[in-house]
Amino acid sequence: MKYLLLLNNDVEQWRAWRNLSQEEAGRLRAEEMPRWTAAMSWMSEQGIEATGLELEDPADARVVQVRDGEAIVTDGPFAETKEVLGGYFLAECKDLDQAIELAQRIPLADKGSVEIRPLVEQ
Amino acid sequence: MKVMALIYGDEKTWEGAGDDERKAVYGRYRAFGESAGEKVVGGAELASTSAATTVRVRDGETIVTDGPFAETKEQLGGFYVLECGSLDEAVELAAQIPGAERGAVEVRAAHEEEAS
Repeated sequence: MKYLLLLNNDVEQWRAWRNLSQEEAGRLRAEEMPRWTAAMSWMSEQGIEATGLELEDPADARVVQVRDGEAIVTDGPFAETKEVLGGYFLAECKDLDQAIELAQRIPLADKGSVEIRPLVEQ
Repeated sequence: MKVMALIYGDEKTWEGAGDDERKAVYGRYRAFGESAGEKVVGGAELASTSAATTVRVRDGETIVTDGPFAETKEQLGGFYVLECGSLDEAVELAAQIPGAERGAVEVRAAHEEEAS
């Protein structure tokens, strides 16, 4: 069963991140890296195949709506929510329980949330 | 650069759509996929948010709740990963995604190295 894991980060965290110097950001990234690596190793132990992307700052998001044939482009993100998407994993898991186990190992689950969405199998 | 195009719409409208309407919409998505060609490098359709589960860890404890992380008027129904020369090109492509006509498509640039 394929699941999309949406990795949501708190808006405040995004904001705080913007004010960091490159060195500080680099240091924080490095500090968190072992937890990401641990989550990845767990996935390979479990035989979970996954792809994913990390997204850039939502401040640069754009929203496109087409109305009466005309494209209207506004600054994003689309939803005004307390947490904003920071990346995703698309993972082939045995079942929802395994997807939950994976979700709780993702460092962002501590600060924001991980939303698990099953895919429509074509 | 890789860009994620997130497709938002009112899932109730989709749930209420008949077979013919669904076929027509899938046909339009296929047409988009064909015209975008190699620029589409990934994507998926999501089951309704009624099947969503949200996981949070607070003070070392895992909290699992049913439903999406936020209740919104329009919901994430699917996405594409696009390979584009710029965010402007991604915006142009996004305007051709059928979901942009009823709902909205959010484009988000990806960090250069892949997360996996």
